[in-house]
Amino acid sequence: MKRGHGETWDPQPQSQPPSGSCEGPSMVDKMADDSNMDELLEVLGYKVRSSEMAEVAQKLEQLEMVLSNDDVGSNVLNDTVHYNPSDLSNWVETMLSELNNPESSDLDPTRISEYGLSAIPGLSAFPKAEEGADEEASSKRIRLESVGSWGDPAVDSTRPRPVVVVDSQETGVRLVHALVACAEAIQQQDLNLADALVKSVGTLAASQAGAMGKVATYFSQGLARRIYTSDLLSGGSHVGPSFEEALQMHFYESCPYLKFAHFTANQAILEAVTTARRVHVIDLGLNQGMQWPALMQALAVRPGGPPSFRLTGVGPPQTESSDSLQELGWKLAQFAQAIGVEFEFKGLAAESLSDLEPEMFQTRPESETLVVNSVFELHRLLNRSGSIEKVLTTVKAVKPSIVTMVEQEANHNGVVFLDRFNEALHYYSSLFDSLEDSYGLPSQDRVMSEVYLGRQIVNVVAAEGTDRVERHETLAQWKVRMGSVGFDPVPLGSSAFKQASMLLSVFAGGDGYRVEENDGCLMLGWQTRPLITTSAWKLAGA
Amino acid sequence: MSSKRTRMVEKSNNKRQRVDLVSEFSINDHHDVLVEILRRLDGPSLCSAACVCRLWSAVARNDSIWEELCFRQVSPRPSLSIRSIVSALGGYRRLYFLCIRPVLERLPKIIWSRDQLQLSLSLYCVHYYERLYVGAWLGDAPPSSLMFLRKPVNVV
Repeated sequence: MKRGHGETWDPQPQSQPPSGSCEGPSMVDKMADDSNMDELLEVLGYKVRSSEMAEVAQKLEQLEMVLSNDDVGSNVLNDTVHYNPSDLSNWVETMLSELNNPESSDLDPTRISEYGLSAIPGLSAFPKAEEGADEEASSKRIRLESVGSWGDPAVDSTRPRPVVVVDSQETGVRLVHALVACAEAIQQQDLNLADALVKSVGTLAASQAGAMGKVATYFSQGLARRIYTSDLLSGGSHVGPSFEEALQMHFYESCPYLKFAHFTANQAILEAVTTARRVHVIDLGLNQGMQWPALMQALAVRPGGPPSFRLTGVGPPQTESSDSLQELGWKLAQFAQAIGVEFEFKGLAAESLSDLEPEMFQTRPESETLVVNSVFELHRLLNRSGSIEKVLTTVKAVKPSIVTMVEQEANHNGVVFLDRFNEALHYYSSLFDSLEDSYGLPSQDRVMSEVYLGRQIVNVVAAEGTDRVERHETLAQWKVRMGSVGFDPVPLGSSAFKQASMLLSVFAGGDGYRVEENDGCLMLGWQTRPLITTSAWKLAGA
Repeated sequence: MSSKRTRMVEKSNNKRQRVDLVSEFSINDHHDVLVEILRRLDGPSLCSAACVCRLWSAVARNDSIWEELCFRQVSPRPSLSIRSIVSALGGYRRLYFLCIRPVLERLPKIIWSRDQLQLSLSLYCVHYYERLYVGAWLGDAPPSSLMFLRKPVNVV
């Protein structure tokens, strides 16, 4: 997980609010980068030179010994301000020197001065860091039995109050651990433990800023839904299809994934229809049809003039009051007219793709070149056995020249819940990370994109059976499946790769995006993790 | 405005006739020449030129100037069929501001081949389609997939 530079450090809400002289360290003021800082500790936010590690560890041990002694010495921790605990060795130095040389007896917090003020012990906000390089090491909490007042100078200071302070820089790690532990508990049907854990996850997630917190919130919602609803089939709030489409539209705008999908698929289609005079595209998930204006334009500038373009779009069943498919067709027709492409549209409303039969498409094989396109649609069919085979057989039956397919690159369809959970956690963490880095976006887009992805998360985690539609599979799995039905892969050319690279390099926050070519298919990923894959197929032996 | 100066000339038949002296040449009289000159400018200079006066601002809206600017670095030169499409989508000036200039700013050394041009045109299409057809449906804010490219510049 990537840490945001701008994240400030908030103490755990459970702790007594520290105030006064302790400055909360903030990640914003990083020290000058010293390249021999230990990397693992740096992830947690502490800068320790690798060469000094042994020393720092020793000093931390000393500190712990002193602090755990329940004597006045520990309360002499003073009113000097400690800055920058991420510079661990200096910080520990100052702590130790304060402890060894209490400055003056004035600092005895049990003594209440004439103004009713007493010293505020300075340790409340500074927990110890982990020693050593082990990120997985158990986090240490500091319990301070303190005789002294804490934030409020006017309070009578004789009551000792135990304080548990947890460093939220490590809550990120603890959050992941808690999520996985909760999933494990569910896997083992230990719902009581899972119940307890999911509550703590919720609290931790709420206090964690940034992408990790958002992801964790959605995962904890999914887990909670899984624990608390006896009927596992109702694993997702049902909203109308137009809301889904609106969410996907926001997702389209706020990040490059869908654009990448559309442009690379379009390029594959263009290369397959170079000589066709009539092109018929069947879109298995029309949504708002954002993919097709660009394809029509590319066809229009083809040397030799544009072919006639026919689009059959499949969408969800229409309500009586609105026929959004027809409206969409009308909008696309207007666009086609503006750029001078002959256009024909047909909308097919179907509850599920497996309801479609080859005759419904009314193909004209003698005169037109057929293309089948599916963006994030095929994985939904894996919820019922036989659906995907039926659909792929239907696709084969219409004899397309090329089938373009875009799917998420992850295995969220494993049989074992825990495996699915872990895989999804990593996948969506990367995805949310990439959203986080896009700056300058209208926030509504990003928020709605997060809702869009959150719904997927809840579906992966909480739903079962036919309700679980987000059954993503990896490219390798799809290759096997497509091969067994009778499709051969068509490699995507360098044009698609170049366009994708250019798209990403101009995208705001584009440093983390990566385009990879994988055996003829293009994968778009964030940092090292591939997230979506575009592939193209043709009939075997064609 | 040109200033014409004339003088009286003695003609052979003793009639006086006014003859124009070589009038001062003013570029503002010759819009086509002005267009030819502006076509050779680069982006920032062209924008400065468009701020000179109202006449120049109007002349600078001539789309062929912006077409030249958009495609100057593209090789091979795109076919003429693009012209009608780009005009339908809003013209070269808008294409330049929305799609070409941000790309040039981010990637100054980019080699403009057919693929890069195709991508810019695709983005332009998306923008046009969104603006006209998707905006009302989504509600208040007009969507723009190109927000990631654009800085807030008022492009009319």
